[in-house]
Amino acid sequence: MTAPPLVRPSPRRGGGSGLLRHVAGKVGGALVSLAAVVVLGFFLFRLIPGDPTVTMTRGRQVDEAQIAELRALHGYDRPIVEQFGKYVGGLLHGDMGTSLFYRRTVAELIGERVGPTLLLVGTSTLIAVTLGLWLGIRGAWRRDSPFDRASTGVALVGWAMPAFWLGMLLSMVTGNLFPSGGMRFSSTPPDFWSQALDVAHHMVLPCLTLIAVVYAQYQLVMRSSLLEEMNADYLTTARAKGLRDDQVRRRHAVPNALLPTVTLVFLHIGLVVTGAITVETVFSWPGLGLLTYEALAGPDLPLLQGTFVVLAGSVIVMNVLADLLYQVLDPRVRAS
Amino acid sequence: MTSIVWQRRRAAVGSTWREFTRNRGGLAGLVVLGVVVVLALLAPLVTDASGLDVTKAAGQRWQSPSAEFWFGTDHTGRSVLLLTWWGSRISLLIGLTATVLSVAIGTLVGVTAAHFGGWLSAGLMWVTNFFLVLPSLVLAIALSTVLPRGIGTIVLAIGVTSWASTARLVRAQTLSVEARPFIERAKVLGGGHVHVIGRHVLPAVLPLVFVNTTLTVANAIVAEATLSFLGLGDPSMVSWGSMLRAANLHGAVSQRAWWFLLPPGLGVVVIVLAFTLVGRALETVLNPRLRGDR
Amino acid sequence: MGILRRLGSVVGAVGLVASPLAPAAQAQQPVTLRVAIIQQVDSLNPFLATYQASTEVGRLMYDYLTAYDAKDQRPVEGVAKSWEKSADNLTWTFTVPDGKKWSDGQPITAKDVGFTYNLMMTDKDAATANGSFVANFESVTVPDDRTVVIKTKVPQASMLALDVPIVPEHVWKGVGKIADYKNDVTPSVSSGPFVLSEYRANEFIKFKANKEYWRGAPKYDELHFIYYKTVDAAVQALDKGELDLVNRMGPAQFDSLKGKSGITLNKAQGRRFNELVLNSGAATKTGEPIGDGHPALKDVKVRQAIAKAIDQDAIIARVNGGYAERGTGPIPPVFPDYHLTPEKVRPFDPAAANTELDQAGYPKGSDGIRVGADGKPLKLRLVGHTSRAYDEQAGEYIKSSLADIGIAVDVQLVADTLLDEQGVAGKFDLIFSGWGTNPDPDFILSLHTCDSRPESPTTSGTTDTFFCDKTYDELYAKQGAELDPAKRSALVKQMQQRFYDEVPAIILGHDNSLEAYRNDTFASFTIQPDPGGVIMAQNGMWGYYGAVPVAAAGAASSGPSGLLIAGIVVVVLLVVGGVLLLARRRGATAGDRE
Repeated sequence: MTAPPLVRPSPRRGGGSGLLRHVAGKVGGALVSLAAVVVLGFFLFRLIPGDPTVTMTRGRQVDEAQIAELRALHGYDRPIVEQFGKYVGGLLHGDMGTSLFYRRTVAELIGERVGPTLLLVGTSTLIAVTLGLWLGIRGAWRRDSPFDRASTGVALVGWAMPAFWLGMLLSMVTGNLFPSGGMRFSSTPPDFWSQALDVAHHMVLPCLTLIAVVYAQYQLVMRSSLLEEMNADYLTTARAKGLRDDQVRRRHAVPNALLPTVTLVFLHIGLVVTGAITVETVFSWPGLGLLTYEALAGPDLPLLQGTFVVLAGSVIVMNVLADLLYQVLDPRVRAS
Repeated sequence: MTSIVWQRRRAAVGSTWREFTRNRGGLAGLVVLGVVVVLALLAPLVTDASGLDVTKAAGQRWQSPSAEFWFGTDHTGRSVLLLTWWGSRISLLIGLTATVLSVAIGTLVGVTAAHFGGWLSAGLMWVTNFFLVLPSLVLAIALSTVLPRGIGTIVLAIGVTSWASTARLVRAQTLSVEARPFIERAKVLGGGHVHVIGRHVLPAVLPLVFVNTTLTVANAIVAEATLSFLGLGDPSMVSWGSMLRAANLHGAVSQRAWWFLLPPGLGVVVIVLAFTLVGRALETVLNPRLRGDR
Repeated sequence: MGILRRLGSVVGAVGLVASPLAPAAQAQQPVTLRVAIIQQVDSLNPFLATYQASTEVGRLMYDYLTAYDAKDQRPVEGVAKSWEKSADNLTWTFTVPDGKKWSDGQPITAKDVGFTYNLMMTDKDAATANGSFVANFESVTVPDDRTVVIKTKVPQASMLALDVPIVPEHVWKGVGKIADYKNDVTPSVSSGPFVLSEYRANEFIKFKANKEYWRGAPKYDELHFIYYKTVDAAVQALDKGELDLVNRMGPAQFDSLKGKSGITLNKAQGRRFNELVLNSGAATKTGEPIGDGHPALKDVKVRQAIAKAIDQDAIIARVNGGYAERGTGPIPPVFPDYHLTPEKVRPFDPAAANTELDQAGYPKGSDGIRVGADGKPLKLRLVGHTSRAYDEQAGEYIKSSLADIGIAVDVQLVADTLLDEQGVAGKFDLIFSGWGTNPDPDFILSLHTCDSRPESPTTSGTTDTFFCDKTYDELYAKQGAELDPAKRSALVKQMQQRFYDEVPAIILGHDNSLEAYRNDTFASFTIQPDPGGVIMAQNGMWGYYGAVPVAAAGAASSGPSGLLIAGIVVVVLLVVGGVLLLARRRGATAGDRE
């Protein structure tokens, strides 16, 4: 510090260094969590007794030498600590081992599936958030009106439904309107617009399902935080100033309630990931969720380990990003 | 405990109950829960479990609802009504046991973290936050894959992955209770940890834990259905999740066998909704902050 | 509300963009056969591919040295047109005719054959999938472009059933390490009827007709294999017209398609069987016992009683939905030359089984469960796959059947990997297993020889029964060297009779292959064998190669056309947008009123 603090006390700077410390703390915490996921991912999947080489060689006549060679190749003959070190080293290089059933690298398989999942989860979250916030605002503003009761009721029912069940129902009810599954028809022309339309067509049902089961939480959170906001003194002041209710809502209450809600949206992204696993399974959507499901048959442990680390890791990263965003955007937190 | 305390508590419960009954949603939820639980308990008395055995299936495959089979039959010719009925037992059993486990862990961690402080508290809070962030189903999937199939595994997988929110809630409540003067007084008078926690903290925290429990059950039942649907359930038991798995695997959708798809799914929705309604009603009654609002 | 307004305009924009596109999407489409693929393809590299789906796909690209006739599966022309063997049955000479071409125009010669076999004999990686076929080869030489000479160490009966895809030398000699080569370059250089044109792992595999194919190009333009995760999803897709051909259906799914217009069902004799293995004494090659099988199962009388007590017809009727044939020996009725019809069929007779067990010294205890001479009650574990509905249901039947003869069964359904481990280690009493069979019986028979048992307690063998019987092994050796078809057939049947009598396993049933196709897009398929045969999973590529599209198939593309898709998307978006806009406007006025 070169500037004498007493000359011009700057709350912003003070807030700034606090923010910096906070950011560092959050990022550090997230890194530790990520490390914990990696450790968990490794030891959890070592719980299964038995020898992975048996699975690899089933139905084939092999002798001791070949088994030993396989074991050495995969490092199963090394002490567990050394295996762990090798695993972490591999992870840092993007090497997550080889799937037992696909016989391809886990990284390659996951890489293929990230895109479709991002597309599905991204689109659904966007629509669900928009819908949820809007319904929440309306509901809070006209609390206990028929609209509020009905929309809260519908939201609760949606929230109570297992996503995969809703998915199966939808695909039974809609008959031939939408494709039975997958992401595109093989016979669609390769140009961009045909492909985009085809993918959109395939995405309607999975998207609807995912939205229906996740939007409720956004609506309920928005509703209650707006209710809280509306009790605040400044709103009474604003009304007293003669502002129309509509303006009060739009200019003051909603923006203030929006911030914590949106942050919460990202904090709850894990729920969407959970929904994606079953929805992708029902609609054969070729994403990470389906890959996780496929890895369960067998089970294909290296693959499951890979999807576990990637899914859990990305949720942790999303969380810390949401947290940081909140710090940056919310003036109240920034000041304190 | 003195009789005055008891009287006060009983009076408090009484007023809570009166307030609760004023919440129509909560009351409806409670009634539904009561009916479902009674039905589930009655299953062995009024129905014959041998109908669950595929070798003794009474009907043909995929019969639509009729006078003989009110909800039709499944892919092996068993009565869907019977399956749904018996399935409710497993779903409820797993939902409740997993919740007890989850709430027990959560309460223990929450109270410990708040009461003792220091490194222990910091460590516990870190673990809590870690579990809070981790997508619980993904971890539950991993756990149930590596452990042998069975009810115990599912209960463990759900319980171990869903306690974090309870812990955080309990910790906050414990902190606020322990800040009150009477705790200080108890400590000065020589009350040990056991005394303070057992006599003062737990009674004050329990209502909140109770509310949390009803909401946790809802989550646990959906989690059970999801795990069973993914094929991680106990294959020898019929639960709503395993019925939906069978429906998915054996072509209920292509058969348009709505009678096999609807009952187990509706079962989940109704139970979860009932628990949620009861939980929300209790929350408004017991949580003073929300009560002020309404 | 800004978000909603923007959303509204986005909806509008998409609608605008979508509508002029519709005609473009409907443009002239190639005639395509769309087939559901449910199993994984582990590799497109024919030297590494071991899964059934992979070999099936591989057959479309690479001919074998000889092929199996579509009608009766006898050996017919493949890469080689004619062949002869020496008097001592050790030297085989194959002739590759002039005029056959790879899809890139290069001639197919004997050198390609020699290259392929020699690669497998010298490069361990290249022997991964099909090494067993060349294990007995002494040498493979190519005296000229038209002739291949194969010398074997001992006579080999399967010389006209070498299921080894022949690859083009001019492409593969440039491949460095076989184990790392994916062979997904498009277009592939094929000798078979199709050329790989696009491969998207987990979405689809596309082929184009090979115009250079020596039998003549297929009658349609493209063949698409589309991934489905469950059979049910594929059945729905067939129903909706997104697919033309589906196989591996379950009985329930097959029945659900009965009477649907536009769909033809094909119930074919299958090559797969389900069996119940009885642990008759698991041991290694050297006879060292492994595992923890119940000692009573070493007694052949107990095994025979169990076989008598299980009602196979009930299992076929209820679990297979009637879509299976009763099992005797491992070789299914679809191969009549080798299928066993026992002189004395073992009847379903629990009463007789009870009497036999009483006489054999297994009296019932107080709890109704029989006890052996060693005092050990007959409580057996039955291990099955959690992933297979068959195991779950058949397990229940077996449990209740054996309860009737005083044997308690604990059905344990476990994950596939665990089941494999328990099976390999002999840690079971009863276990579900199953195999697919080939026209040549050698492999399936070899599974139950002493030599198929594991090398040591910690390695895996190929056997699932751990059967080791001197009579069986002698017969096996004889049939392997017997080149006279009739004599070999008799030997093979004798072996199965031995297997049937000794009961190392009970063949529960040979599943039917249940297939269905859309008859509004494809008029007919070549089945193998004819009659009663399959379209998919053949010993060959006839089903795909011989498919005949409906004459006017070009006009009647049955899948949802581009126009329909576009229309639906536009309508949905408009409706959603409209609802949102409407709600917003209503909401706004309501808000203003407040």
